[in-house]
Amino acid sequence: MIGALTLLAPLAWRNLWRNPRRTLITLIVVAVGLYSILVFAAILDAWARSSRDSSLNLLTGSGQIHAAGYLDDPTVGYRMPPPGGALKTALNAPAIRAWVARVRVPVVVQSEYKTLPLTLVGVDPAGEKRISTIPDMIADGHYLSAADDAGVVLGRHLAERLKTRVGKRVIIMAQAADGTLAQQAYDVVGLFAGNQNAEDQFAFTGIATSQKMLGIGSDISEISFAVPDDQQLAGVVASLRRASPGLDVSTWAELSPLTAAVNSFMEAFVYIWLWIMFVFMAIGIVNTQLMAVFERVREFGLLQALGMRPSLILVQVTLESAMLIGVGVVAGFAASVVTIVPLRGGIDLSFLARGAEYFGAGHVLYPELAPGQFVELSIIVWLLGIVVALWPARRASHANPVEAMSHLS
Amino acid sequence: MTEPGNPIVTCRGVEKRYRVGAIDVPALNGVDLDIAAGDFATLAGPSGSGKTTLLNMIGGLDRPTAGAVTVDGQPLADLDKNALTELRLHKIGFVFQAYNLIPVLSAAENIEFILRLLGVDARERHARAVAALADVGLAGMEDRRPAWLSGGQQQRVAVARALVARPAIVLADEPTANLDSKTAEDLVALMARLNVSSGTTFLIGTHDQRVIARSKRHIEMTDGRITADERRDVAFAAE
Repeated sequence: MIGALTLLAPLAWRNLWRNPRRTLITLIVVAVGLYSILVFAAILDAWARSSRDSSLNLLTGSGQIHAAGYLDDPTVGYRMPPPGGALKTALNAPAIRAWVARVRVPVVVQSEYKTLPLTLVGVDPAGEKRISTIPDMIADGHYLSAADDAGVVLGRHLAERLKTRVGKRVIIMAQAADGTLAQQAYDVVGLFAGNQNAEDQFAFTGIATSQKMLGIGSDISEISFAVPDDQQLAGVVASLRRASPGLDVSTWAELSPLTAAVNSFMEAFVYIWLWIMFVFMAIGIVNTQLMAVFERVREFGLLQALGMRPSLILVQVTLESAMLIGVGVVAGFAASVVTIVPLRGGIDLSFLARGAEYFGAGHVLYPELAPGQFVELSIIVWLLGIVVALWPARRASHANPVEAMSHLS
Repeated sequence: MTEPGNPIVTCRGVEKRYRVGAIDVPALNGVDLDIAAGDFATLAGPSGSGKTTLLNMIGGLDRPTAGAVTVDGQPLADLDKNALTELRLHKIGFVFQAYNLIPVLSAAENIEFILRLLGVDARERHARAVAALADVGLAGMEDRRPAWLSGGQQQRVAVARALVARPAIVLADEPTANLDSKTAEDLVALMARLNVSSGTTFLIGTHDQRVIARSKRHIEMTDGRITADERRDVAFAAE
C-alpha cells in the first residue's frame, strides 16, 4: 500500500494542478463550506452558552433543592428547614462553587395604580451575588443590603407597568403559613434591568423579611447551587440526593426544559447545518471531479493498457480527491480559526437591544475555539468529501482501455 | 521468455463482431496468425480491415467473439481483467499513434512509471529510464515534460517506455501517423535497430510504406482476414 502511495501521491498531486481554475473552484467550495460550518458552529455554540447562562445565572443556577411537592405547587405550604447536617456538608463540598437559600412564593403586588401577580424572592444579598447576576443588573437605586432588608427590588419593566419608581412604596400580599392573608408595605429601593420576562416575574426582598411576613420562621423554599463545570453536575446531584432524602434535587435541565431544549437544538443544528452545507459541497465536488474524469477517460484507459490495475486507478483518483478536499479543509479550517480568534473577546449584540433577549441570548456572545469539535467537523467533511468522490473515481477505474486505442486510430 | 523463432503470439480462428444497433458488424473473420519471437512485423491494410482490432485482441485490451489468442504461452481467455493488466505490464509494450505520454510526468518519469508498477527500486528505476532515453537518442532530456518535447521526441519516449520493461512483444498502432517524414524515418530506423539489438518482437499496425519497407515480415489484412503474409530479407530490415 505504501509502495502504491509513493507511486500515486506525486502523480495525484500534479494532476490536481492540470486544471488550476477547476481545482481552485473546488478548493473554494470546500473551504467556504467548511468555514461556514465551523464559524457557524462557534457562533451557535456561543449563542447556546449565552442563552443558557443568561437563563441559569438569573436565579436557577446549576440546580436546585426543594421540598417534595414544591415544583408542582410552589407555595408557602411546601417549604423546608434551612440546610444542616449531611446536606450542609454536601453543599459545602469543593465540587459546589456556591449555594444560597431562598424563600420564593407567589404574591400580588399593588401600587397606587395597578395590581399585578409576581413571584417574591426572599434572598440573602451576600450569598445571592455568588449565584445570580441580578445583583449586578441594578439600573436604578441599589440592591438589597442585608438578609433583613425591608426594601424591595423590582424589575424595571414591572415598575413601569405599576407606574412606580425607586423611593415609592408598594404593597405585597401573599398567603401566610397559617393560611391567612399576609400583606406588607415595601419601599422600592432598586430596579433591575434583565430580560423582560424576569423583570415582570420577580421581586426581591431580604430573606428574613419575607420569612417574617409569611410566618415561616427560618424555613426556606429553595436552595440554588452552582457547579464550576457542567460535567460534574450529575455527580453533585447524586451526592445531594443521598444527603437529602425526601427533598427534590433537580438539575437546571429539569427545572428549565426550554433552556435544555434550546441547548440541544443548537448542538443538533450544527450538524443539520453541516449536512446542508455538505450537500452543496458534494454537488460541487462531484461535478468538478466527474468533469475531470470525463476529460481524462482515455488517459485512464491508457493507464490500464500500460499495466495499471483498475484498483490502482481508483486509488489514484480517490487520492486526488482526498488531496483536493484536504487542502480545502485546511484552508477552511485556517480561515475559521483566523475569524474566531479575534472574536473570542466577545461579539457585542447590544445594538440588538431587547431583540437579542427574544432569542434568549445575552448582549455579548463569546465564540470559542473548540479544538475537538473543529477537528471532528473538519474530518467529517474530509471523509464525506472522499466518499462522494468515490463515484467519479469508480467511473475512472472502469474506463475501457480500447477507448484509448480507438481514440488514436 | 520465448526462444527466438518460436511463436510468441498465436491467434487461432479469432473472430470479433461488434453489435451496431440490430446489425452484427464483423471486424475479424477467423484470423490465424503466429508472430515469432524476434519478428519485426508490419500489419497493413485499408482502414476498417481489422488491424487495430487484431492488435487489441493480442494486447488483451479486448476479447474475441470466437477463437483463441495466446501470448508467450499464456491463453488470454483464461485471464480476468486484473490478470490481463498484469500480462500487459510484464509482457507487452504499447506505442500509440498520439504518443499518449502522461502529461504531468517528465520523460524519465513516464518511463519510470512502468518500472514503479513493476516494483523496481528507485535507483535501478532511474538508471534504466536514463539508459532507455539514451537508447532512443534523448539523453539529456530526462526532465522535460511532454509539452516541451516535439512529436517525434514524444514518440521516442513512448518507444522507450514500451521497451523499458523488456516486454515479450511491442504492439505499435500507427506509430508514425502523426510524424513528419524525416521524424517517421528516424523512428522506424530506431525501432528496427532496437529489434536487432535487443531482440524485442515488434508488431506494427501501419499504412506507412516506409515502415513496411523496413519490416522483416509483412502481413496484409482485408475485411478482417489475413490476405498476405510475406517474410523478407533480415539483412535489409536491419541495415
